[in-house]
Amino acid sequence: MIIEQLPIINLLLFLFMALIIPLLKRKPFKITLILGFIVLILVFISSGYLLWYVNNVEIISYTFGGHETRFGIEFLVNPFSALFTTVISGLALIIYVYSSGDKTEGIEKKEFGRYYVLLFILLLSMFGILYTNDLFNTYVFIEILSITTCAIISIKKKKDTYTSAFRYVMMNEIGSLSYLFGVALIYMATGFTNITLVSESIQTAFSAYPFNIIIALGFMIIGLGIKAAIFPFHIWLPDAHSSAPSTSSAILSAIVIKVYLLVMVKVLYSVFGLDILVEMNIPIILLILSATAMILGSVFAIAQKDVKRMLGYSSVAQVGYILLGISLLSLAGLEAAFFHIISHGLMKTALFLSVGEIIFYKKTRKVNDFDGMGFIMPVAMGVFSIAALGMIGLPLTSGFISKLNLGIAVLENNYVIFLVVLILSSLLNVIYYLPIIILAFLRNEKYHYRMTTIEHTPKTMITPLIFLAILIVALGLFPNVIMPVIESAAKTLIP
Amino acid sequence: MNDIIIKNITRIVIPFAQAYGIFIILNGHISPGGGFAGGAIIGTSLILYTLVFGREKGKKKFSHKMSEIAESGGIMIFVLIGVIGIIMAGSFLANQSAGFPQGELGNILSGGFIPILMIAIGIKVASTMISLFNILIDEEKV
Amino acid sequence: MKEIIDIIVENINYIGAIALFLIGLRIVVIHTNLIKRIMGLNIMGTGVFLFFVAIGNVTGGVVPIVDPESANVIYINPLPSVFILTGIVVVVSITVYSLSLVIRIYENYNTIDQKELSDLISEENNDH
Repeated sequence: MIIEQLPIINLLLFLFMALIIPLLKRKPFKITLILGFIVLILVFISSGYLLWYVNNVEIISYTFGGHETRFGIEFLVNPFSALFTTVISGLALIIYVYSSGDKTEGIEKKEFGRYYVLLFILLLSMFGILYTNDLFNTYVFIEILSITTCAIISIKKKKDTYTSAFRYVMMNEIGSLSYLFGVALIYMATGFTNITLVSESIQTAFSAYPFNIIIALGFMIIGLGIKAAIFPFHIWLPDAHSSAPSTSSAILSAIVIKVYLLVMVKVLYSVFGLDILVEMNIPIILLILSATAMILGSVFAIAQKDVKRMLGYSSVAQVGYILLGISLLSLAGLEAAFFHIISHGLMKTALFLSVGEIIFYKKTRKVNDFDGMGFIMPVAMGVFSIAALGMIGLPLTSGFISKLNLGIAVLENNYVIFLVVLILSSLLNVIYYLPIIILAFLRNEKYHYRMTTIEHTPKTMITPLIFLAILIVALGLFPNVIMPVIESAAKTLIP
Repeated sequence: MNDIIIKNITRIVIPFAQAYGIFIILNGHISPGGGFAGGAIIGTSLILYTLVFGREKGKKKFSHKMSEIAESGGIMIFVLIGVIGIIMAGSFLANQSAGFPQGELGNILSGGFIPILMIAIGIKVASTMISLFNILIDEEKV
Repeated sequence: MKEIIDIIVENINYIGAIALFLIGLRIVVIHTNLIKRIMGLNIMGTGVFLFFVAIGNVTGGVVPIVDPESANVIYINPLPSVFILTGIVVVVSITVYSLSLVIRIYENYNTIDQKELSDLISEENNDH
């Protein structure tokens, strides 16, 4: 009974937190932080419990107001949505703990409250996107997500954030309206917006109104592609992600673009179904896009002198990896993509947060200034190195496992060319990550005397970083711990 | 704006506009209109007041704090009604099955909780309209 | 020829919606004035909304409000109208947000032209 209510209670907890923060303005800020932490812990526990429940007992379908699914909104908690809500709330918890430590990173003091309001609404919309089983409801949550994302980007009162936020708004809005047009076309052809009902009737609709479905597919892929920064539409990402505060860069890069990719997975696999995709040759197009993203994203990243921009371009390449797994249309490919979503979420969070700590204390974002940084800030650089080695795909890290899985999935489909691209892209990763590590740790001895300068970082910033590093290595050593849940998540999409 | 014609006409028009907005909110469930449309009308009348009499007087009539409370309150009412649905019928925003009185078709008091929802939405939309306008004209804060 | 005209007249709503969408898209992509780009976004949105309303239309249907006196009337589909009401709210909020961004940009750079803006930004980057 109460288990059925858990998804909506999760959303209401976030909403409650977002509403309560402005009312606590007069009280010390610590109360808000502790309350937010409690809310996040509760949500993490409840989504973890839901994950166990849907994997072991049954899938939960929840209709609002007890209406039929034809008219009402349906929340569907299956292994897929339960897995990723758990991942998102876990990552958000880590980032939240970190963000309570680095208070001054570019945000004015009176804006803290507003920042956390935006953070909680952001989480609410992402949970909504994953839970909902309705195309139009997804659109509404996507819009909430994009407005809050823009606001988080522009919360730093600096000149360049305004222009990058404006570009982000324009691109994203084109994406949202394209997606909405796709929904309109599907509604026109099938008469439903509920994903389950649409997928039941889409084959007959495809034979009756083929143009509607084709155009809808095109609009939706392009719309979600813009939002997920799939290669030719990635131009907004480096600016937006590098000008935001570090914690929100971590959220944007590690979570938000993944959510759009997951919507894309939902649209491709659950709404249209594999038959239509294969008939329209969508996989080939997406494979080529992902291959270009993997190569060119890395090439652009090499040219960057600003660390955060470099990480932004690296995200473009990583989106390419995930898209490669998605567009293979096989169970192995989907599992590899899901695993990479999780492991890249961990690694990118670790990278952005450790870079954020360095920016916070050393006030530098230039790659060249990292000279000897490993001796000045050993913990931050250590975590950065572990995460960067993970991005390269060295064994013992989770990045290696995801690349291994991707490689196996690619070979299963006999696309040897994409294996070459995968390895090439990993080599390009080496070119831009390894110099930083060498610069920080292995340069001349004159920096050694600085070993004595211990980091004066608050524990709230150090602990999440170390925790992330441990998670990355643990996932690399024991990937089988989470493989069963990923497998069942993939199986809900490919029957 | 110090034009006496505009000021007097505004004084006359605003009560009618607000009454019309309230009418539309209350009739939202039995005729075209509803919380959003009516709230927008009320919000527009407040914007008109601020435009004609200036920001300071507008602040006196509808302060920032008040709009904050109204905004949060609007959502709170909505959520509260939804939670009543959870408790009574096991489903968020359940209407008939949660025991809200249905009334007679065509009356103002009908449709369960929908009139209350309309009022909540109206409050929220009106205060959001005016605070968005204030944000746009205030220079120092975003 | 007559058939083509018939098809156009029958589908005038859809054609208009797609035309609005494309006009808006062109404005967003091509124009350099930021406020015009926001207007383009609104036109795009209107195109999609018109499309939704056109789907819900039933020839000879009336407004879907149940009237106890008259039975057996055909109602138009209310669901698309509800969808676009939500859509309008969303587009309004996006418009307000982006207009406030334009105000900030104007305060900081004294221009709302994309070309001048990118010139100014690249100049600033070269200074550093």
